[in-house]
Amino acid sequence: MSEKPAALIIDDEVQIRRLLRVVLEAEDYRVMESESGRQGLSDVALRRPDVVLLDLGLPYMDGMAVLKRLREWSRVPVLILSVRDGPEDKVAALDAGADDYVTKPFESAELLARLRAIQRRSPSSSEDAYFQAGYLAIDFNSRTVSVKGEEIKLTATEYALLKILAQHAGKVVTHKQLLREVWGPNAEEQSQYLRVYMTHLRKKIEIPDAREKLLRTESGIGYRLVLPAGKKP
Amino acid sequence: MNEYVLAAISVTLATVVSFLLEPFTGYLSIALVYLLLVVALGLRLKRGPVLTVAATSALLWNYLFIPPRLTFYIDRLEDGMMFAMFFIVAMAMGHLTGRLRRSEIAERQRERRTAALYELAHQAAFATDLDTGLGAAVGLIESVFGARAALLLRLKDHSLSRLAHPASSFALSQQEEKAAAWAFARQAHATKSAEPPQDSESLLFPLQGRTAVMGVLCVRSPSGKSFDASERELLEAFALLIGLTLEKDHVIEAFKRAEILETSERLRRALLESVSHELKTPLAAVQTGIDVLAKQIGDDERSLATIREIQLALRRQHRVINNLLEMTRIESGVIRPKVDWCDVDELIQAAIDLAGENVAHHALAIETNPSLPMVKVDQPLLEQCICNLLLNSSANSRSGSKIIIRARMDENRLILSVLDEGKGIRETDLPRIFEMFYRASDARPGGTGLGLAIVDGFVRAHGGAARAANRETGGAEFTLEIPVETMQADIVEKLA
Repeated sequence: MSEKPAALIIDDEVQIRRLLRVVLEAEDYRVMESESGRQGLSDVALRRPDVVLLDLGLPYMDGMAVLKRLREWSRVPVLILSVRDGPEDKVAALDAGADDYVTKPFESAELLARLRAIQRRSPSSSEDAYFQAGYLAIDFNSRTVSVKGEEIKLTATEYALLKILAQHAGKVVTHKQLLREVWGPNAEEQSQYLRVYMTHLRKKIEIPDAREKLLRTESGIGYRLVLPAGKKP
Repeated sequence: MNEYVLAAISVTLATVVSFLLEPFTGYLSIALVYLLLVVALGLRLKRGPVLTVAATSALLWNYLFIPPRLTFYIDRLEDGMMFAMFFIVAMAMGHLTGRLRRSEIAERQRERRTAALYELAHQAAFATDLDTGLGAAVGLIESVFGARAALLLRLKDHSLSRLAHPASSFALSQQEEKAAAWAFARQAHATKSAEPPQDSESLLFPLQGRTAVMGVLCVRSPSGKSFDASERELLEAFALLIGLTLEKDHVIEAFKRAEILETSERLRRALLESVSHELKTPLAAVQTGIDVLAKQIGDDERSLATIREIQLALRRQHRVINNLLEMTRIESGVIRPKVDWCDVDELIQAAIDLAGENVAHHALAIETNPSLPMVKVDQPLLEQCICNLLLNSSANSRSGSKIIIRARMDENRLILSVLDEGKGIRETDLPRIFEMFYRASDARPGGTGLGLAIVDGFVRAHGGAARAANRETGGAEFTLEIPVETMQADIVEKLA
């Protein structure tokens, strides 16, 4: 990108806005601020940010309402910032169209990594035919997966799961989303399929003794394919 | 039988009157007297007696009045015709009037029934409270059937009350009580009880609502009069209506209770949330500020060391605040496990990831059985439990020592244990180790005494139990036993 990406912070806490501005400007973002949900919505419409950081605990019009309203007409990537750390809050926000979720207090490095992840567009079949994260490589054209350079055999279902996680690399993908995309819309309640296939997939692509696993479980929410720190795919 | 007596008397009277009239009117007109009698009786009596009267009248007329008298013989053709006509007409009349009367009686019964049911429904719907409505029902049974009624209602624990409802108009005998209990049990559990109790002198009607039996209606007829089929039907309809009314009342009660509960829970949640917000927002600001400073300082080693100290303190504070909030959730009963299928290996791995840096300097050994089934648990809660146990073990054992995480099934219970090679737990501390804010007498500074209490709370929310013990080889062993629903993975693969 030639010009700086624009980030809009929607949070009623002035301290958080000021500090986030410093963090984001250090990373070369153009920063805009809104102090209420209503103002945030009009800022998204008029000022067209490239990414939105949205707090859920806004007064008057809460963050969930802002998110739902926003998703009626905009596909701008949204990162939720919230003190609510229960899985049901996270799932509700993700189902309502948020791209990812960070709980306050957060580490700046993690926040920036999540922001980068949600700004990457999903690879379509034409571009990004190749994916790499650490020792894992996927060639979407030939549908081959290799670990440490050695090709491994995956079943159709395992490959479908891995493909979705890779396309959303660095982002959390909810159980519901995975079930819907791999098994169809009627399988949203069949969580046991997903658990079994994730177990199989892990056995095939994870290095047994590695502390840092590639496939991260977000309990009660979904799964995340973690990109090794400092590497931008 | 008394109808036949009445018929006999009427026929006798009519015959006497006919004898008095005959000299003036001639024998033919007498037939009309008898016909009148048949019609009149047809409007009063049942079919049998009326037809008997019709036949008897015809024969009497023939025998006593048609010449030659006192014989059944008829010698003139027109008299024979008259007699035959009379016979047919009388029979037809008797039959028709009987039918008319029957339909009229049925109509009246229907009307009475409808009126009574309407009355009851009205009372039930508009009674200000349940007791008034039940009193009205008992009163209605008394006025419609002339019978006394008693009500036994279902109690909160779904058993039948031994005491009749205060609105009842008589006290049940022991035999009636037994019979009522039997009728209730049979209806409620759809079982055929071993033996019905001996006949009690009253009728019993279970008050069957749409989903449950709400009690028993006991009707005692006055002076041993028995109820006919239509009266029983009406009583059954009564019982059904009373049952439905009770059920409606019960549902409204339950609904109110649930609403109150929900409101108070919502309040608690809102309060917790605002407390969370107030505690965590400044923490988030400090955390971000420190991150910004660290970046700005660049590589001044002394300042960076200070920053790292602040970051450590912040993490500790964050953990304390999280623990306090979690404990508050447990204490206020907001925690409700949301169970879903979970792979135990995945659960353990997630807990290790969550513990992160804190267990980086220990050797972790995971001991699970590859044939462990899938279990239904609240994964986020259990992940927190195992993480807390790991933090506890790592804080109480040397860096580099081994921590074992073990998972197995014992019948339908999932057994999770965390074992360390630390100094173990003092005997005096063992019974109180899971208490809130309790800290072992030799604990290191830095803990809040909440980590293990949270483990205990989460496990108990699952209906399980947490235990602590010392290993024979030294070190502590924490065990969580949780009742779970299981599914073998190979079954799942067949499904998929």
